[in-house]
Amino acid sequence: MNRTRLLFVAIISVAVLLVIGTLVWGALTRDPANNGLTVPRPERLQIRVITALPVEPWARAAADEFNAGEHAVDGVPIDVEIIAMDGLTALGKWDRNDFAALPAEVRPDDLTAEEQAVLDHFPTAWIPDSRYLVELANASYKERLGRDVFLSDGQYRARPVAVSLFAWGFYNSRGKALQENLGEISWSTMHDAAIAPAGWPELGGEAAWGFFKLAIPDPRKNVGGLATMIAAAGEYYNRTNISVEDVTEPEFQTWLAELMSAATDLSGGSAYTAEDFALFGYTAGDGGQFLESDLLQNLQGILTRWEESPIIHYPKFITWFDFPFTVWVGPETSALQKNAALAFQRFLLSEAQQRKALSFGLRPANPNVPVDASDDSLFVRWQEQGVQDVVPRTTAMRSPNRNVLLALLRWYELNVAP
Amino acid sequence: MNTSPKPKHRRFPARGQFLIIGIVVFLLLCACATTTARVGQWLVNSLVGDGLPAAHDDETAFFTWAANSSELTVAVSPVMAETLLAQAQAFNSRGLTTADGERMRVELVTMPPQEMVARALQQPNFQALAPDSSLWLGRIDQRWAELFPAAEGSLAARRVGESTRYAVSPIVIAAWEDAARQLGWPEQPIGWQEIQARATADANFKWNHPSTENAVGMLATLAEFYAGAGITRGLTEEIATRQAVLEYVRDVEATVRFYGEGDQAIVQRLADEGRNFLDVFVTQEQTVIAWNQNQDSGQTLPAERLVAIYPKEGTLWADHPLALLELDGRAGPALTANQRRAYRAFTEFLLDDESQLALLQAGYRPADLTIDLNAAHSPFANSEAVDAHQPQTVLQIPSTPVVDVVLNVWRYTKRPTNVYLVVDTSESMEGDKLRRTKAALQSFIAQIQGDRDRIGLVEFGSGVKHFDSLQFMDNDGRSQLLQVIERMQANGYTTLVDAVRTAYLDLQSIADADAINAIVVMTDGQENDSHYKPRDLQLAVRDAQVPVVIFTIAFGRDADRSLLEEIARIGGGQFRRADETDIEELYRIISTYF
Repeated sequence: MNRTRLLFVAIISVAVLLVIGTLVWGALTRDPANNGLTVPRPERLQIRVITALPVEPWARAAADEFNAGEHAVDGVPIDVEIIAMDGLTALGKWDRNDFAALPAEVRPDDLTAEEQAVLDHFPTAWIPDSRYLVELANASYKERLGRDVFLSDGQYRARPVAVSLFAWGFYNSRGKALQENLGEISWSTMHDAAIAPAGWPELGGEAAWGFFKLAIPDPRKNVGGLATMIAAAGEYYNRTNISVEDVTEPEFQTWLAELMSAATDLSGGSAYTAEDFALFGYTAGDGGQFLESDLLQNLQGILTRWEESPIIHYPKFITWFDFPFTVWVGPETSALQKNAALAFQRFLLSEAQQRKALSFGLRPANPNVPVDASDDSLFVRWQEQGVQDVVPRTTAMRSPNRNVLLALLRWYELNVAP
Repeated sequence: MNTSPKPKHRRFPARGQFLIIGIVVFLLLCACATTTARVGQWLVNSLVGDGLPAAHDDETAFFTWAANSSELTVAVSPVMAETLLAQAQAFNSRGLTTADGERMRVELVTMPPQEMVARALQQPNFQALAPDSSLWLGRIDQRWAELFPAAEGSLAARRVGESTRYAVSPIVIAAWEDAARQLGWPEQPIGWQEIQARATADANFKWNHPSTENAVGMLATLAEFYAGAGITRGLTEEIATRQAVLEYVRDVEATVRFYGEGDQAIVQRLADEGRNFLDVFVTQEQTVIAWNQNQDSGQTLPAERLVAIYPKEGTLWADHPLALLELDGRAGPALTANQRRAYRAFTEFLLDDESQLALLQAGYRPADLTIDLNAAHSPFANSEAVDAHQPQTVLQIPSTPVVDVVLNVWRYTKRPTNVYLVVDTSESMEGDKLRRTKAALQSFIAQIQGDRDRIGLVEFGSGVKHFDSLQFMDNDGRSQLLQVIERMQANGYTTLVDAVRTAYLDLQSIADADAINAIVVMTDGQENDSHYKPRDLQLAVRDAQVPVVIFTIAFGRDADRSLLEEIARIGGGQFRRADETDIEELYRIISTYF
């Protein structure tokens, strides 16, 4: 090899070493929070918050107030955009990478202007219904990127911004008839009512009421539907930790299928929430399990539209939703956006906003705010209907793992509403 | 002697050159591979499609919009079109803008819900939809999941994004007040079974439900299957196809006067014909309220009230959702952020006090639950015709596959049809008119799916040019008729009345009283060569053994409107206008009557 060739090879080797060295240094010193898209300092900073439906009205009202208050980060005013989305739908989008998170080896600065424009719509934060949805999304990204995209500790960790739980809601006439004839409201009572072949005449109700109609969210459209099925399994097995083996056990599946046969809409057209329970009244649901906040928000509507006072009972096995505010820590959003999301999170957790949450039927996540802290508190207003400040029994269901959820969903699609 | 060294004739390049040549060759190969892959992909897409359902004819038109478009197009079901149009106009007049200064606008396209479902699976010309029931949204997601199944262990993608309801109305049996009293209203609870029993026992009892293209027709059909099976929930594919159930449905359907496109057409016929048209019909509660309001305001309607019967076995709700489609850009432009904002702004507008009260005044139950239906000035207040506390119960809506089975089975149990298509192919039909007419006739034939349905064809110009007698729409019959249509040529004069009379007499000679007998006649010109006159047709109707309904279509501006109206009147049918742009749609609509 002559001298010219040696020189050529040496130059190439040095260049390659420089590139490798830079990449290794960058990887070692990468700070997730400062690892964002390099963007010129904007005039206004827009952040997008994917928000679970039960907290969306409260979060949207708070966002309007926040935006009007000219909150800023590093001197840049913040605009918060709330995007309403059921937790299960959002999880599906994270799962399928519908938001277009970048592959591990791609950095935003490497993108063309057109590709960077796509990232303009990337969510800055997510408020799902429950912490376990965050864990499921993280698991999916860990497989794909080799790291967490939502943190469980540190400055950007997920923090609950409000709390609610699942409670029984019944039209008074129907609830009383059931209690008098079948006993305490429970999943077992629901099952007995569901399998009564003659319907309400057999259950002590009027013939005009038709068959017993269980109001339950559609698990394909509302994460609450899956939560209630897990709670039913909890009561069936009399324990809080439900496994795949439990939900695939044939006798349990038969019992659950009988229970679900009392649902009124198997078409998948509607999510069936407490709002539907109020809108369609006793015609489409005699009673069922709903998120307490949804139920409380709709009690007045039920009274106005159907002129029948509803009643609330707390189940033995309780499912909590904690609505964690979760900041995306990947490079798709800028450090400024991440910090702006934290500013909005702090705003939601402020005592003023937590008190406002009471008027949406949400229990405050800030322990300094009791549930009767506001005149508008729905917990005060609806005490006669059975709502309680302190939940009497605290047998909380544990978060199911991904396989349990998928097994239940698959079973539902194959057996209840194919 | 030349001592200079001989030039080296290097037969092979040096290593460095090898390297450069190698890199060049590699790059060329990469470029070729990319091109080959793209061409291959194009060929595959051309041959088998790209996974999306094949679009039909003009549906292949590529609908597009700017990346920052803030114009939201909403497909709306015919029953809500007029009400929602007024709301959209009020919304547009507010001149709202998005954060980036784009003006938000809402445009509406009227479409039967079943068509919305089909279009939503392709690249539709709308970004949001407002069908009459959420049932249709479930069908879209179901079909989408079949087209794009989820990977193992993943959640399936949904085509329908956020949705809201702005008004609801239960589906009821509407009856003239005295007809309702004869059935036992208001003392006795009345159900689907009473109506069906009365219809099968009394040949003079006239009832109707719309075709299954909308929620009202679908519910009425489901109710028949439930009644036939003697249950109010748990309808399965197996139960729906039991022989006893099928026979029950067939008997009931034999009593339906005819089907049709929906509420507006029925209301129009009621206004024209009153009690002679129907005794009871299936519709949404809002129709009853709107009818009675018009009557109270002194509009020219028969001076009799309608009342709403809430079926005792249960009913369904027309729940009028407004939903956004998650257009992801795989077959056209994606939904823009501004369109999403326009959707949200429009839903907020529909749910504000003013809009909700307007919907209440139109006879709907508003989605805003703080509005008291029995408050003063509410159409529900002090009304015996409707009851805000009803219905007491609903029928269970089965899963999508069961509904599909019911609809498929219904096609074979519904009342059979004998229909003659009487088609003008005179000289004036030359060119685009004839081409469009052929497409419209083909579309009509495609819609007629019952195994007991028969179609015939009378082609006329200077006399009857071609007469194709009624034939069953099996594969052979369908294929033969389509060939006849394909061969049609424009020439000659216009012998309209003679052609209609020919079809009419043939239907009378067959005298199939169990079937719906009908003629659909279309012309673009003036009658100028018939031997017979309309009064001859009138005489034939007077002596008829079986009733024959005649629908007439004026194609273009030069058609003889007054004559066509008279023929429709004689035949107890309808007169409609069409041009090149909507002739196919009109034939499709008329097909829903059968």
